[in-house]
Parts: sequence; C-alpha cells; structure tokens
Amino acid sequence: MVKYLLKRLLHGLISVVIVVTIVMILIYSLMKRELIFRTDMQYRKLQENQKITYKYEQWERYGYLDYVSYGEYLNTLVEGGEITKETRDEAAQLGARVTDDSEVTATYVKKFTEAYESRGYEVIRSDKTASGQATILFASRDIPIFTRLFRYFAGMFRIDNVHYVEKTTGEELPDTGITFTFFDPLYNQGEKKVFAPAVMGIGTEHRYLLYFDDQFPYIHQNLLKFNIGTSYSVNKGIAITDTMFAGQDPNLNKTVTFATGLTEESPRNLHTATYVKGSQNATAINADRFTDDYTNVQYFKRNMSRTGFSFVIGIISVIAAYLLGVPLGILMARKKNTFIDGLGTVYVIFIIAVPSLAYIFFFREIGGALGLPKTFTADMPNLLMYVLPIVSLALPSIASLMKWIRRYMIDQENSDYVKFARSGGLSENEIFTKHILKNAIIPIVHGIPGSILGALVGAIITERLYSVPGAGLLLTEAISSYDNGVVVGLTLFYAVLSILSLILGDILMAAVDPRISFTEKAR
Amino acid sequence: MENNYQNELADLSDLGMSVEELFAHCDNSEAEAEKITAPRYSYWKSVFRVFFRKKINIVILVLLAVVVLFAYIYPMIFPYNAYENLAHMTTTSHLSPAKAIKTLGFKLKWILGTGAQGQSTFDAVWNGARISISLALICAAINMTVGVVVGAIWGFSKKVDIVMTEVNNIIGNVPYILVISVMVMIFTGSFWTLVFAMTITGWIGIAYFIRTQVIIIRDREYNLASKCLGTSTFRIAMRNILPFMTSVIVTLLATELPSYISYEVFFTYLGIGLQEDVTLGRMISQASSNLAVRAWAFEFWSPTAIAAIITVVLYVVGQNLGDASDPRTHR
Repeated sequence: MVKYLLKRLLHGLISVVIVVTIVMILIYSLMKRELIFRTDMQYRKLQENQKITYKYEQWERYGYLDYVSYGEYLNTLVEGGEITKETRDEAAQLGARVTDDSEVTATYVKKFTEAYESRGYEVIRSDKTASGQATILFASRDIPIFTRLFRYFAGMFRIDNVHYVEKTTGEELPDTGITFTFFDPLYNQGEKKVFAPAVMGIGTEHRYLLYFDDQFPYIHQNLLKFNIGTSYSVNKGIAITDTMFAGQDPNLNKTVTFATGLTEESPRNLHTATYVKGSQNATAINADRFTDDYTNVQYFKRNMSRTGFSFVIGIISVIAAYLLGVPLGILMARKKNTFIDGLGTVYVIFIIAVPSLAYIFFFREIGGALGLPKTFTADMPNLLMYVLPIVSLALPSIASLMKWIRRYMIDQENSDYVKFARSGGLSENEIFTKHILKNAIIPIVHGIPGSILGALVGAIITERLYSVPGAGLLLTEAISSYDNGVVVGLTLFYAVLSILSLILGDILMAAVDPRISFTEKAR
Repeated sequence: MENNYQNELADLSDLGMSVEELFAHCDNSEAEAEKITAPRYSYWKSVFRVFFRKKINIVILVLLAVVVLFAYIYPMIFPYNAYENLAHMTTTSHLSPAKAIKTLGFKLKWILGTGAQGQSTFDAVWNGARISISLALICAAINMTVGVVVGAIWGFSKKVDIVMTEVNNIIGNVPYILVISVMVMIFTGSFWTLVFAMTITGWIGIAYFIRTQVIIIRDREYNLASKCLGTSTFRIAMRNILPFMTSVIVTLLATELPSYISYEVFFTYLGIGLQEDVTLGRMISQASSNLAVRAWAFEFWSPTAIAAIITVVLYVVGQNLGDASDPRTHR
C-alpha cells in the first residue's frame, strides 16, 4: 500500500512539473509580450528610449528575460573593486552616437558587449533621440524554458538558517544560533510565568521559527517557507502564498507588549518578525519598541484570507450538498418513475442544461426577493450574507450527487445479490439501506476529498457575483492583468490539489470497500 | 408410457395414407435457409419509432425547430443592425418593451425592448443564439469525432492506454479557463479562436469516457466469442462495440452540446470570450450590472432565457434520443 502510494505521489509530482512546464510555455513563449502593456498607462505616456527601457525593465519583472543595463554592469564592477567610482562616472557618459563615445566609455562599452554577448545576451544600443533623450545601452536574454523551470523549482522551498544574516549583510550577529524555550518571551514580560514553548533564532531570517499563539492552527512555523512566485499586478510585490493565505484588510489591533516593555494597542504580530539590517534605530517608532533588528513584522488582519473566505463558503456548501444530495438521490432511486423522481430529474436537467451563470443569477434574484443580502460586505460581518453564495455553490453539487446516487442505486437494484436478498425475505428498507446503499455509495466516497480540497480553490462566478473577496477570482484577475507569476503559481496549486484529491479519494475508497486493494495489481 | 407411443404409431397407419402424403419433401434451399422468422427490424427506424412514442419529444422538437428558425432564418430576412437607432439614441436607449413599442411602433423586433444604442434586443438575442448554436455544433462535432476515435483506440490498446492515461492526468490538470484565455490572448477572441481553444484540450475528457466504456464492453463474452471465431479487431470495433456505444455517444452529445453554450456565456461574462460579436454571454454580462432597472432586466433575462431554452432543448432531445438509440428499448 505504502509503496503504491509513493509511486502515485511520484507520478503526481512528475505530472505537476509537466503541467507547470506547459503553462510556462503557453504564457512565456506563445503569448505576445507586448500584451502585458495593454492597460499600462505609464507605457503609453513614455516615448522613444524611455519607453524601451521601461519595456525591458517590465519584461524582466514579469520574468520574460534577463536584463542588464550598462549602468548596472558598471556598478557591479565598482562593487567588485575593479574600477573606482570616478571611472564609473566617466565611463557611464554614453555619446549621442557610437562614434561620439569617449575613449574610456568605448573601452567599457566594448568590455560590456563582449562579456554579455559571450553569455548569449543580445546587446542593444539606442542612440540619443531627436527629442533629446539620452543614449541607452543594455543587454538582454530570453530565459530558456529549462532555466526558468529550474529557477522556479529551486526557489520553491526556503529553509531558514542561522547563516541568513551573515550571508545577506556580511556580518555575523552576536549570539548567533537557535534556542529553545518553554517560556516564549512575548508572553513572559511580567512576573507570572506563562508556559508557551517556542523555537527562536538569532542570525536567522525569522526571530521565531516555531511558536504557539491563539490563532488557528495555534502552532506556527517559519522554518520552511513555500515560494510559488510573486505577484506583480494583482497584489503588487506580495508573495502568491501570502496573497492567498494571509488575512485581508483592515488591520486588527491587539494589546501588544514590545521587547522594550512598551504596551499598546497595535496590529503588529511580533511572532512574524524578520531581520532588516539597521532598522532598530532607523526610526523613532522602531527604537521605542524593539531591542534588536528583527523589526519587520506582519500585521494582524481583521478579515480572513482569500482562501479562508472561499474555503468557509465552499466547505459549508459541500457539507450541505452531501447532506441534501445523498438522501434526495436515494429517495429518487426508491421512488423510481414516480412524481418525486420526475421532479428530481427536472431539477437535475435544469442544473445541467441551463448555463451556470443563468441559474446563479436566477437564484440570486429569488434570494434577494426573500430579503437575503445580495452582496458580500466583509467589513460588516453578517452571517446572512453567506447564505446566497453557499446556496449557489451547493445547487450544482446537489444535482450531480442526486444524479449519480440515483444512477448507481438503480444499477445495483438489478444485480443478483439484491434479488437474492429479496428472495431471502428481507424488507425493502433493509435491502436499500444495508445492501444497495453500501455498494452505491462507494464511487461517491471517491469524490469527497476532491470536493473538500476543491473548496480551497474557490468559485469564479459565485465570488464575482456576490463580490466575495475569495481565491476563485485570483486566476481570472491574474489572467486579465497578465500577472504571469500568479498564473503559474495558481496552476501549480491547482495541479497539486487535484492530484492529492485523486490519491486521497482512492485511499478513502479502499478504506470504505474492503474489496478494493492497492497492494497487488488486480489484473 | 411406451405403449402409448406404439399405440399412436399404430393409429397413424390406420389412417390409410402413404408416408409421402404425411410428410412433404423439402429441397435444400440456400435462400430459404437465410430467412429469419422474426419480423423485419431496422435499427434507425426503431430508434425514431421509440423516440416519437413520447409526446414530449414532439413538443421539444417543435421548440427546437422554432429556435433554429429564429436563430438562422430570421436574421437572414431581418439582419441584425446594432446601429439602426444611433441617430436618436437618447430617446431609444434602454427602453422597456412597452415603451419601445410605443416609441418605435409595433414590430416583432421591439417586443423585448431596446439596448444601449436603441438596438433591438430581440434581434440581438437571436444573433447571439446563432453564434452560440454554431459554436456548440462545431465544437461538439470536432471534440466528439476526435474523442470517440481516440477513445476507441485508447480502450483497445494497452500500450496506448499507459501513455494516454498519463497525458490525461497532465492535460486534465491545466485549468480549462487558463487554456482558453491564453489561446484568446494569443489569437485575439474571434469565433474560430474560441473553437480552437475549446477543442484543443476538450476532446480528452470525451476520449477518456469512451475509453472506459470500450474497456467495459471489450472483454464481454460475446466479443471473446467473436474473437475466437477469428473476427478482426476492426470488425469487432465497428460491428460489435460501436452499435453498443451509440446510445452512450448520443447521451454524451446531449451533455456536451449545452456545455459549450454555457462555456461561451461563462467566458464572455468573464471578459475572455468572443470580443467582437454580440453573443448571449456578452449581452448577459453587459446587462448584469444594472438589473434593478426594468429595461436592463429585459436585456439580461432575454439572452439568459434563450440560452437556457436552447441548452435545455438540446439536452432533452439528446437524452431522449440516447434512450431511444438503446436497442433494449426497442420493443
């Protein structure tokens, strides 16, 4: 069993990599690059050389190509100690035309060109324009698909370690190391001892590597971070995982006691502190509150994350769907070819055949007429506003459950064991609940993990229609604003979820039905 | 007991007839031997006999005919013109049906009111319906053909099965919406782009479904027997399995056809569908912003209702045709 599952997981992993590759090819190679500027006002305003520079800089940010300007190249030379700042300033003076370059400039331009052309870059020079914009010189290279893939997967897992500060700033902090405490200093500033284990580090990126707090799931870690990309336009500069899983505005104030002993109402979540060199004394605010350079904190948020909203709505609708759909399906099967069955079939046909957009609108209008809130206002929590999104999500699931349960039960009804049970004198109730249902429910069980994990993904139309700040809209938002990083990250997330749900479904099915076994091949 | 028989035989001889008179001689006849005593059976005739036995099907077919008539013939006679009232837009924009008839006179095209530029909602709806139906028919034709052929091969060959199952696992994980939007972004949202986008990966789900069906039927006893008698695989596929699958394929078609219309509406609503034409999805998305106003409500509910009618009609016809094409119902 374990061996089989490992094999499945490995296969799944390979599938995920291929899916990401396909999506990357679709996005980075097949799509026209200029498209990302379609709604960019700044791009339209810029002219000539400025436009070219902006274009390449944006392409680098969106991950299309590697871009190095001549200026950047000279700066690296200064950092490497090869040239002095004075030489740099002199060399940076590009002439209006190649022939106008000074001798110093010409040598460094030549060096730059040689250095980058040998590495497969294309060196582009655009001379001074008629309107007086300065000459630009830069090198750029399309990132090959395998390099892109490698970079993506290599940067996916980040393990925090004690060498972080040393590596990034070049100096080692005193007392570098990892400590374990039973009494988290955040909760232990007074006389009273509060038992709260925590793993803390100095020299690491995060001050707290493992800690407990009062927020679900109560135990948190900063040791291993997943990085599936950064958003550029949907949520500028924020990691996709944070866009999906971090709480949403507004900030939530809590009573926080800082390391200096200052206690105030503040949204700062001190457990999330990361190292920023020299930040403690950079501002008066920090100096009053912190005793070290671990000052970069995230804020407590009042609202759930995007995924949180989607999941709450999704999971309730899944539960509701199973609670309603399964009994209704059984009822339809038992009352086959009666009025109830017909009514159920009409509903199923309605949901299958009518475009989802149409019936979601339809039920929204009905709900609105009944006085239920038609839009979701996260700032004014009201439990009633969850009702319509949940209903609109549950409707199709109920229909499909009804359809399949009925189908499976009716199929089972004609099998020999049912005839045998009937001839043995069992009552219809017993036959249905003890025999038919047990067999008919097995394929339904297979879909349960899928529907639960699917709730994490969110729903596109429902969330858009009820303005739920959920995760379902993320993909469409990313696509329409050409946020390639988010598209790739989300695809990866979806692919992992769908593979996991298939595997979990199989496990669950094997657990429910003893006849199904993965230990050896049936055929 | 034995005595009785002997008695009967004795009785026969008492009749005084020769053996020739009792038993007529019959020559060995090839033609007669091929004759089957059962009544003549034509598959498709029976399909339609069973189909038309249900009265609801006639009603639905009439409805389908009306829809097709309005979607394809009506725009030929009265071409859709989005700008016919552009000159007096201020007075004709977003009129409810009653007002439209009052302002523009009683004509069939005004019975659903007017849109933003004073254009006829009625005409626009049928124009959109024509695009939607054509899209669904073309996509279904491509996906079903490719899907059924690939699915049949997939089900028969174990080697192909291993490869295709992996392909299915991979393609199935690329979000459909992503494929379509990227295609639309690359080629801009024209009708044929959408067809291309919906068919480039759309066939694989159908192929997988068919593959499962083929595997179920493939190893049944009658096929094994046929194989033992030396029937070629191709003949088994064409003669033994395909007829068995007709009802499954028709039923599948019944769910596929409406789904393409739904997809068009869905994608256009999200702003990544057809970008030039006036489609049902586009009308719905444009009018959905202002449902509270009566005229807008008509602009919203007319395309919604037409989309729903088309899909339900196609679905019901397909389902019932699927039922009728199952030979077990031909009694």
